[in-house]
This record gives sequence, structure tokens and C-alpha cells, in this order.
Amino acid sequence: MSTDTAADNQTKTERDSRLQAQFDEIRRGRRIRWLLTGLGITVVLFFFYNALYTTELFQADLPRYFPAFLDALTDYFPFLDFSAFPFVDPGGFGQYWSFIQERNLIYNSSADLTDPSTGGPFALFGVAGLTLAMGFAGTILGFPLALLFGILGSERVMPFPFNFLFRGVMSSIRAIPALVWALIYVPLGGLGPATAVLAIATDTVGNLGRLYTDELEEVEDGPIEAMRTTGASRPQTIVFGMLSQVTTPFIAWTLYIFEINVRIAVTLGIIGGGGLGLILSVQQKLFNFTNMMATILVIIVLIISVEMFSQRVRSRLRADESPEGLLTLLLGFPRRMAESLTK
Amino acid sequence: MSNITVDGVTKEFGDTVALRDVSFSVPEGEFVIVLGVSGSGKSTLLRCMNGLTSPTRGEIRVDGTPVKDPRKDIAMIFQQHNIIGQMSAYSNALTGSLSRTGLLKSLLQLQDTEEKYRSLDALDTVGLLDESRQRARQMSGGQQQRVGIARALVQRPNILLADEPVASLDPGSSQQVMRYLRQAAKERDLTAAISLHQVNLARKFGERFIGLRNGELVFDGYRDEFSMDVIDEIYGDIDTEGMFEASDDENADEQAVTK
Repeated sequence: MSTDTAADNQTKTERDSRLQAQFDEIRRGRRIRWLLTGLGITVVLFFFYNALYTTELFQADLPRYFPAFLDALTDYFPFLDFSAFPFVDPGGFGQYWSFIQERNLIYNSSADLTDPSTGGPFALFGVAGLTLAMGFAGTILGFPLALLFGILGSERVMPFPFNFLFRGVMSSIRAIPALVWALIYVPLGGLGPATAVLAIATDTVGNLGRLYTDELEEVEDGPIEAMRTTGASRPQTIVFGMLSQVTTPFIAWTLYIFEINVRIAVTLGIIGGGGLGLILSVQQKLFNFTNMMATILVIIVLIISVEMFSQRVRSRLRADESPEGLLTLLLGFPRRMAESLTK
Repeated sequence: MSNITVDGVTKEFGDTVALRDVSFSVPEGEFVIVLGVSGSGKSTLLRCMNGLTSPTRGEIRVDGTPVKDPRKDIAMIFQQHNIIGQMSAYSNALTGSLSRTGLLKSLLQLQDTEEKYRSLDALDTVGLLDESRQRARQMSGGQQQRVGIARALVQRPNILLADEPVASLDPGSSQQVMRYLRQAAKERDLTAAISLHQVNLARKFGERFIGLRNGELVFDGYRDEFSMDVIDEIYGDIDTEGMFEASDDENADEQAVTK
């Protein structure tokens, strides 16, 4: 009996030491991990504190100005009425609308749709039409170069060192924000929509071209080989073997960049490019916060409309639906728009 | 019509030998079936024959001139169809005429009316005239393969090569595609080489047979010589195959060393 216990004890101590070793190892590992995590968090907090200090967030004295901000808020949202329940004065919306109407921000009833000097069909949408036109013109102007650079940037079209020439150009273009491109073009196009369009076009070359290059990397070899065996020339092999595989994604990416370009058109308006951005910045400088918010509402409507349009076209391209009749197209319109909105 | 000479072709990919000293010649207008299991070198042989890859040693000649690059007189049909899904069956068939059309014209689909009718005629040959406006991607596997054949025919080749054209098709479509292939080769006097791994299809459609095993030519003969023994020779007994491979590999190693 006693020997049994002794043997038991012995195996127990033996086992214990083995488990102990493993246990210690695990504990040590976990401690190191905790230590490293703690160190990591400390480092991040350190830099966060310094970043806040550098950006003068502590010096800004936010609490002191908060009441002033609340005042501004009632200007932003004139329909808010804190004096009586339900705190909403429907008349406030009228202030937005009267400014939108007065400046033809989103609809111009007296527009001459056939006169290009006033915007042609774009004039129908008033000031928003100008912003839309800037984004559209910039996208189309940038498209050919984006296509060229995008294709030549692909290693499968251009042999290794040379494709990087085109990739490098696109990277450099992307490194400079559209806003800065606009500043660069000011001496050429003056402070106005023309400069904005040039900046958007340049930006498109860098961004859209990059998306094209990426898409071309996904192309399958099969059709390319097949085109080679038909005796096609090299340009023909590229067009039919490669590009034909990516037409749908190319169209989708172009629409996506168009969306972004309309947004950039708003930003460039703020520095003098015209359109909704300019109205916004002028009203902000005049401290007409209600008018500023009205402009922002128009911007939201414009951007979301463009987004819904492009989303709709893209999902249609992807789904590869068979063409529907015009009637079903019209009848299904509200439902599809609602679907695109929630995507 | 052209004749093909495969002269001592060896193809190595790094250490693996895909083809080892394969030689045979095909007279004008013959319908040849290349048989073998997966990995026996069928695809490599066909890819060498149309110039998509070049042999490590040896040479392939068509009408006496060596094949270096893909040529317009050699058409190829692929296992994975390799047609362009985005385009209609008609536009796909029309790409067969690329070598005779300039870039801009082919881009805008402004080929001669003659070429356009030739495409429709080729689609008719493979029984797809009514489907010519359908998008290739929306077609069935068998139909896609037939579009591939139509494209090859529009190319107006002298030689038709097909790499496992029916490997991904069901038995019914397989027979249909093989029938169209043979019919097209007959009507247009094409020299054809088709690789297959299905013995029954080979027996049904073949005139002459080339058997490959582990990259070596193990059979070259006509219908009357294509017996059960030959099939055993090509496909081997599954149980003994492993052993043979091992001894083959040893030999290969020894050869490599002595070289």
C-alpha cells in the first residue's frame, strides 16, 4: 500500500514537473504578450496625445465656444424650435427652399436647353448642373489617357521595366490631390470651372488608370493564347484577347470614378471652381449658415442621385441581365432605385 | 492541305520531361487522334505543334517549314474553349479572321462582307446559325466548344489541332462535337490532330492513332492495328503502372547522369 502511494507520488511529482515546465512556458509566453500589448498601447497613446497637442485640440477650448456652436446649429437647422414641443417649426424648411429657388441651385425653370453657353441640358439642374458638368467633362477628358496608361502599365502588355514608367506616372499623379492639381492649373485656366475640369481630368488619369491596370492583372491566359493561334497581330491580341475580358469591369470602374469626380467638383468649387462648392464657400464666409446648409442639402441630393444612377448601371452590368422591355424598365424604376439606395 | 512532320521532339519543363524524342509524320488530310492518360504529354505535343511553346530539342515542320510561332494556317481548339464570353457567338467566330483584317477594321467590326458570311457559314457548319447573336457566356459548354470550332474554321487553316476538345463535356455533347470536327475536317480537306483520353470516342471517330505514355510514343498506327493490346499499352494496367513509372524514372535519372 505504502509503496503504491510512494510510486503514485513519484509519478505525480514526475508528471507535475513536466506539466509545470509546460505551464511555466505558457505563462511566460502570455506575460510577454501582455507586456508587448501594453507597450504597444502606450506607444499609440503617446503619439495620440502628441498629435492632439500638435493639432491644437487642447488649446482650442471647445467648451467655451460650445454655446456659440449651438447658436450656429439653430442657423444650420432653422426648423429647430426649442421653445415649444415638438421642437420643430416646419416653416424653417421654407428658408432652405427659398434660397435653393432664389439661386436656382437644383432646378432652373428658365433654362434654355439648347444653348451650350448657358449649360445646355445641364442648365436644367441650375448650379448643381454646373457641378455635374464639371465632373462629367473631367471624367471623359481623362478617360483616353487613363485607358492608355492603364493598359501600358500592365506587365502583360508592356515588358517589365517599361510598364513601370507608366505606373510611375500614374502614381505621381495620384500622389498629388485634385485640389492641388487645381492650384497648379490656375495660371492656365484661371480661377473657375475650366481649371477644375483640367484638375479632375488629371486626377482621373491617375486613379482610373490604376484601376484599369489592376483589373488587367486578373485576365485569363486562355483567350489570349486563342487569339495568338488565329494569327492575330499583337495589338489585336491585346484588344480581343485581353480587353474584351474586362470591358464590363472597365465600364463599372469608369462610372465609379465619375461618382468620385462629381464629389471632387464640389470640393474644387470651394476654392473658386464654381458650382455648388462656390455657393457653399461664399455663404459660409457671409455666415449665412442657413443658406450654407441649404447648399449642403442640394449637394447631398446631387451626389446620391449620381451614386444611384451609377450603382444601378453597374449592378445591371454585373448581373448580366437580358435587356428588359421599356415598360418593365419604367414600372420597376422606383423599386430598383430604392434597392440601389440601400446598397 | 498540309502535312506535318514531328521530328525527334523533346520538351522539358525544368526537371520534368513532358515529351521524349517523339517522331511521326501526318500526310495531308489525315484525321489523327492523339491518345493518352492525363499527363502523358498530349497537350504539350499539340502546343508544340501550333507554336504556343517550342520544343527543347527536335523540330516540327509543316509543309517543310519549321513551326516557331503561332501561325494563321494552324488553327487550335482548346479544352477550355477560350472563346470570349463577353461577345456574341458571331463576333467570336469573326475573330478567326483577325489575321486578314487590320486593327481598326477588326475593332469596329468592319470586316469584308465575305468574312462575315464566312463566319455565319462556319456557325452553320457547327449547327449554331440560329444562336449566332447569343452571348457566348450564356451558351452551354457544348455550344461554346462549337463556337470555338467555328472560330477555327473562319481562320481558314490547313491544319486543325484540338486539345481535349470534349474533356469537359457530357457524352452526348462530346459525340456531337467530335462529329462536327470530323465533318468540318472532311469538307474542308483539313489535316487534323485531336487529343482525347476517351477510348470509345477515339475508336468511333479516329482514322489514325498516336499513343503517348509518359511523354513517349508507344503507338502509331491505323484503325485495323488499334487493338485491345494497344489500348493496354497506352493506358497501362493501373496496378503495374506505378512500378513502371518508378523504373522509368530511374532510367531517366541514369540517362541524365550519363549525359
